[in-house]
Amino acid sequence: MADSSRSFLDPAVLSRLMALPLNARQAMLGSVSGKHRSPVRGSSLEFAQYRKYVPGDDTRRLDWRTWGRSDRFYIKEFEADTNLRLCLLIDTSGSMSFTPAGSTTSRFDYAKKLAGTLGYLAAQQGDAVGLWSLAEKPVEIPAKRGASHLGLVLDQMGSIQPVGDTTLLTALHDAAERIRQRALVIVFSDLFVPPAELKSAIQHLRFRKHDVALFHLLDQQELDFDFDRPARFIDLEGGEALLADPCLIRRNYREAVKTYLHELDDLIRTTAIDYHRVKLSDKYDDVLVKFLLSRVQKKGGR
Amino acid sequence: MTFLVPALLFALPLAALPVVIHLIHLYRRRQVKWAAMMFLRMAQRMNKGLSRLRQILILAFRVLAVAAILFVITRPMAGGLLGLTGGVPDTVIVLLDRSASMEQQNLATGTSKRSAGLAKLSQALRDTVGTRSKLVLIENAHLQPQALEKPESLTDLPITGPTDTSADVPALLQSALDYIATNQTGRTDVWVLSDLRQSDWDAGGGRWQALRSGFASLKGVRFHLLTYAQPAAQNLSIAVDRVTRRETAEKAELLLDVRVTRADSAKEPLELPLRFVVGDVSTTFKAEMKDSQLVLQAHAIPIAKTMKQGHGRVELPADAAPSDNVFHFVFAEPPVLRSVIVSDDEATFTPLQAALEAAADPTRKYACSVLPPSRAAEIAWDDTALIVWHAPLPKEGDLIAKQLANARCVLFLPPETPNTNAFAGLQWGTWNGDSKPATVSWWRNDAGLLANTRSGTALPLGDLEVQRRCDILGEGTPLARLGENQPLLMRANTTGENQIWFLGTLPGSGASTLARDGVVMFAMLHRALQDGSKGLGKAQQREAGVNALGAGEWKRRGEAVLSTELPLRAGIAESGEKLVALNRPLREDAPDFLGKTALGELFAGLDHQIIEDQVENESSLASEVWRTFLFLMAIALLGEALLCMPPKREVSRTTA
Repeated sequence: MADSSRSFLDPAVLSRLMALPLNARQAMLGSVSGKHRSPVRGSSLEFAQYRKYVPGDDTRRLDWRTWGRSDRFYIKEFEADTNLRLCLLIDTSGSMSFTPAGSTTSRFDYAKKLAGTLGYLAAQQGDAVGLWSLAEKPVEIPAKRGASHLGLVLDQMGSIQPVGDTTLLTALHDAAERIRQRALVIVFSDLFVPPAELKSAIQHLRFRKHDVALFHLLDQQELDFDFDRPARFIDLEGGEALLADPCLIRRNYREAVKTYLHELDDLIRTTAIDYHRVKLSDKYDDVLVKFLLSRVQKKGGR
Repeated sequence: MTFLVPALLFALPLAALPVVIHLIHLYRRRQVKWAAMMFLRMAQRMNKGLSRLRQILILAFRVLAVAAILFVITRPMAGGLLGLTGGVPDTVIVLLDRSASMEQQNLATGTSKRSAGLAKLSQALRDTVGTRSKLVLIENAHLQPQALEKPESLTDLPITGPTDTSADVPALLQSALDYIATNQTGRTDVWVLSDLRQSDWDAGGGRWQALRSGFASLKGVRFHLLTYAQPAAQNLSIAVDRVTRRETAEKAELLLDVRVTRADSAKEPLELPLRFVVGDVSTTFKAEMKDSQLVLQAHAIPIAKTMKQGHGRVELPADAAPSDNVFHFVFAEPPVLRSVIVSDDEATFTPLQAALEAAADPTRKYACSVLPPSRAAEIAWDDTALIVWHAPLPKEGDLIAKQLANARCVLFLPPETPNTNAFAGLQWGTWNGDSKPATVSWWRNDAGLLANTRSGTALPLGDLEVQRRCDILGEGTPLARLGENQPLLMRANTTGENQIWFLGTLPGSGASTLARDGVVMFAMLHRALQDGSKGLGKAQQREAGVNALGAGEWKRRGEAVLSTELPLRAGIAESGEKLVALNRPLREDAPDFLGKTALGELFAGLDHQIIEDQVENESSLASEVWRTFLFLMAIALLGEALLCMPPKREVSRTTA
């Protein structure tokens, strides 16, 4: 943790959040026993149901007390607890390098803090953690358990630099194709892509039965466009610079933002993803607490 | 438009400074690393047209403001609405109408139309042209181009001073046209300064067409018509139609026919003090004017019996047009009405002599002598009012022909054997005679020798029978015709004041009934005699003009004027025993002005500009117009400020 490449992890925050579990909103298909519900029956202590004995069933699982009472053979089934595959998908486009005025933390740094902390928490509760991004050198670390794997994920996360045009949609479609078993996919992005195209990528993930959570990272200035003087706006993704007088276009800018957010709300409603709009001025540990608590409430749901 | 500091115009490219600064700012603007370009592009797209237009307008206003301030420091000169545009011409020709009517004054300042126009023109030319153009003056009295050194001379020279002449504007323009064509003046501005009197402009004359086509064939000639067509309010003009000295046993007196005319059509009675000055004695007579005209017939002014010859004037109270408030007159004993008949045909000259010796006016003396053609040189040319020439026409270039051409009035009668010589454009043809006498089919009865009498009665031309007639060949003005358009009496077209007639028959000899009936011949001869006698005698009334006095040494009675200006100014001129009263031409009193439309038609097809000014208007023709540019700059800056004003700040913020 003392490594400077993992500076996005704050021990104080980690210790505070350690008490909160990271739950999936749906059953997971893990390889080992864990804390998460599984779609198959297992041998945990939590009773699930009775079912009539059929030839071939393991006679050790017969409920002898029910046989004694009813003279019929019933099999007693228990919930299976399994582990969770957490896939952290970070947008590495140039726009992620945006740093709000008066701050030293860029959007990408913020995303790394969120992703790194969640990855650490997941690993601590025995879940598998993987990392996906489409940086200059594409990163694709499948979800695995173990401290050494977590170290690999965190090291890779620390070495990624946001640069170039947006590759979010490609990354989402790739992830949907490559993550074979259902997993909790958490996306960290500014989502500066057309909502219609984003919708198809999200639906692709949902189609593969992944639990999708989305951290939409924005700065208040990006919403308000609150500049007072004309300026040359340099595209962080390498596009053509624009000369603009904010006084002239502020109204239209806000109108465009409003329309975009409205379309995004429609997308969230129709795809049922776990969406969190985060301002870069918010404290990231508060954001994570809110995220984790919202998932605690879902526990026990089937 | 011209500039007092034209060198500063080279700084005009500095007007592009705002554009340059704008371009520099484009690259020096604060740079913001921005991620949400998606929204920025959408906003730009939505705002593109308006934003670009606004930006262009802002730049245009800034350029305009800088250009305006550059113009301000170059001190532009323009005539405001006059639009003295087009830069400095090579030549400026000033055509000055300094006729009597141009002396109409602004009563408050005493400035006449002529002096006001000259002052403005001088200032405008000094400010706009200076000495960079050749300046030429042509004024109506002499019609001679006069080069001026500087525009200020327009107000200083005697030849731009007041006169009591009339103007002939077409002749002025013709002089300008000749000057331009002869001297190849290049780009020429022709300034015409006039009060647009119809009598001066002769808008219906045949010369305008030739002038228009003449000027149209020249390139680079522009006309600036500085006009003062402003009638004088409540103007009165005075004229003396006739002066007669009458002497009886008891007294001597002058009988004056005085006419006072009111310019406007007002008819309210007006008590008018008329001041008569004869010699050194003045009397005032109060007359009541009830109509637009007051006529005093034979108004008697007593004079000393010893005063056989003298001069005087009649004056009206001062008004806006001083030139028509005074009329000068002279008087003397009337001269003998002397006539000469050159003929050796007794049958012809006898009735003529009888008619010419008969007294039409009992107060006058008549004398008629007959000379054979061989003694024609003995004629006393200076004292003879009428010459009746019944002899072959003299050969052109002969001494006798020259003297005849200078004679006051000549009536030519056809000789029995006409020669082929021509005189004043006319010559005799052949004799014709019909068995049936010809009668007069038409004659001019409004003016000339055969005009109706004062009472309106026509002369008995219809009773005249012509048995023999001689053809009159050449161009002239017919006064009477026989039968099928055969001229009987024709007036030759002469340029001077002398008059020449050709009569196509003889009074006797079986040629016509002129001598037998007598009335027509008597009237005709005495009218010719009367016309010829106008130049006789020691006292004469003449219209002011450059040729009004003729040769000789003349000096002026009363205030002294330059000798060159003497015949141009109203007053009494004296040469030996001769007295001449010079007055303005009475047509100058006609209050009719040429309208702007009519003026435009006269200059149709020519590059011209009409500048209507008034004598009360004290603003100059050309002035510095930096204020206009300053105003433009203020407007541009205001427009730029309005466009740069930030829109009202929106309070509501987009919530995430």
